[in-house]
Amino acid sequence: MLDGVLTGSVYALMATGLTLIFGVMNIINIAQGILVILGAYLSYTLSVHFGIDLFVGLIITIPTLFVVGVVVERLFMARLKGPERTSMSILVTYAISLIIEGSLNMIYSINVVQLKAWYVDKSFPIFGVYLPYIYLFGFILAVVLLTSLYIMLYRTRFGASIRASLADQVAAALVGINVARVSTICFGLGIAVTAAGGMVYGATNAFNASTSYDLISRLLTIIVLGGMGSLGGALLAAILMVTLGDVVAVVWSPIWSSPTFFFVLVIVLSLRPQGLFGKQSARVA
Amino acid sequence: MTESTSFLRFEGVVAGYGGGDVIKGVDFDVPQGGVTCIVGPNGSGKSTLLKTVSGLVRPRLGQLWFKGTPLVGLTPREILKLGIVQVPQNHSLFREMSVQQNVELGAFLVKDKKVIAERLKHVTEIFPIVAERAKDKAGSLSGGQQRLVEFARCLMLEPELVVLDEPSMGLDPKTLRLVFDTIKLMNKVGRTVLLVEQNARQALRMSHYAVVLENGMLRLSGSGKEVLNNPEIGALYLGGSIKETSSIAAPASKEL
Repeated sequence: MLDGVLTGSVYALMATGLTLIFGVMNIINIAQGILVILGAYLSYTLSVHFGIDLFVGLIITIPTLFVVGVVVERLFMARLKGPERTSMSILVTYAISLIIEGSLNMIYSINVVQLKAWYVDKSFPIFGVYLPYIYLFGFILAVVLLTSLYIMLYRTRFGASIRASLADQVAAALVGINVARVSTICFGLGIAVTAAGGMVYGATNAFNASTSYDLISRLLTIIVLGGMGSLGGALLAAILMVTLGDVVAVVWSPIWSSPTFFFVLVIVLSLRPQGLFGKQSARVA
Repeated sequence: MTESTSFLRFEGVVAGYGGGDVIKGVDFDVPQGGVTCIVGPNGSGKSTLLKTVSGLVRPRLGQLWFKGTPLVGLTPREILKLGIVQVPQNHSLFREMSVQQNVELGAFLVKDKKVIAERLKHVTEIFPIVAERAKDKAGSLSGGQQRLVEFARCLMLEPELVVLDEPSMGLDPKTLRLVFDTIKLMNKVGRTVLLVEQNARQALRMSHYAVVLENGMLRLSGSGKEVLNNPEIGALYLGGSIKETSSIAAPASKEL
């Protein structure tokens, strides 16, 4: 239950990246799952081969994935235009996803690994249970990053230009916002958060490249439930998903934790097709 | 108002979307200092023509000149920097942001916070609503109020040319009058206005200069009064078409 809230924040971070990309660019990034795994593997390499601490390694992995995001956006996403953009983006990002997955399988093999550090093994007592420190540290990391992201979005000039582009691209262009540049940076930011998400995910779960399928389905569900493009919605839906799963697992059976969440999703979507915090007219082309 | 040195000039502009041309070769001058109105039936290409000015639509052929600077190929941002702002047809305020944040975004290209504050003060004098509803979400305003805030926002750059795409769209008659009065006021404080209007008669009455667009081509031009009193314009709005030979056809552009 408690670890639900803690891991929920990490999912929220990864989903925020996804919803930011969708909100500004109308792009559904299917590669988000595999990029989380890429982030996890980067942390793995840095810690195993270079002895760099997982959290310290983020100083390298976050900018690296930001650059990956910028390159992918410039090479592929910026070229997608017109009304078919959203559906085309699913195909293109899926292709990117497959390429990364294949490469990771080749480099790291398909054996599952888990990130190691003292805080992954050591636990601390809280409310009568023992939780590995990584849950706490991951939570703090997610909170810090999400808070910075929110401050950037709501307190800075650049943030205002992102929110304006989220709301109305034509109107944003007409006040002088360079929507193409905002899109590129948003894509970079949306991908950069997967480095942090991937590290915490890889420290709390054993993973290989195929784990990305489970991840992307969860992340997509979160942003659909929260409302496509809604940042607050992603946050709430992530915590709801993980907590609900845990509660059901404890009081009922772990078998039902995922189905229950999807059941809730179906109910919410039949009552509010735009999701919890989505705009009335979902901007899906 | 009548000195028609080339302030904004359309020169053989051909533009459209995808395959088809909506604008099929338009030439005319917008004189500095006045209100110029583009009228014409639905689908005649009025909005498309305006979008070529702000850079939202790139003409396939032809050129636009703003005080001697060619506009074709410039981004909306570069065009803003030259001093041309456009208020689009649909409501374009950022609904989730406050009225004040919206107006301040109008000066997005201005980096100096002091200048922004000064201009905000100046704009608020013309549009008291900006101060009255400063903290309210823009989405909570009525259609007419949103229009006024959009006008306020567009003045934040102190533009030389204000381009308005159907400013009266969806407004009740009372608000419509207020919006038109505000347009006159903007003109009075030194902005050249180029607008497209569906409420042709009212718009023409306050325009110094007008052009009639039909089927993507310029069919008539003259002073607002001339176009208003032209017997054929009524026919145009009743669904008819202007005859080829118009008595006051296109005095401003030599090409037609």
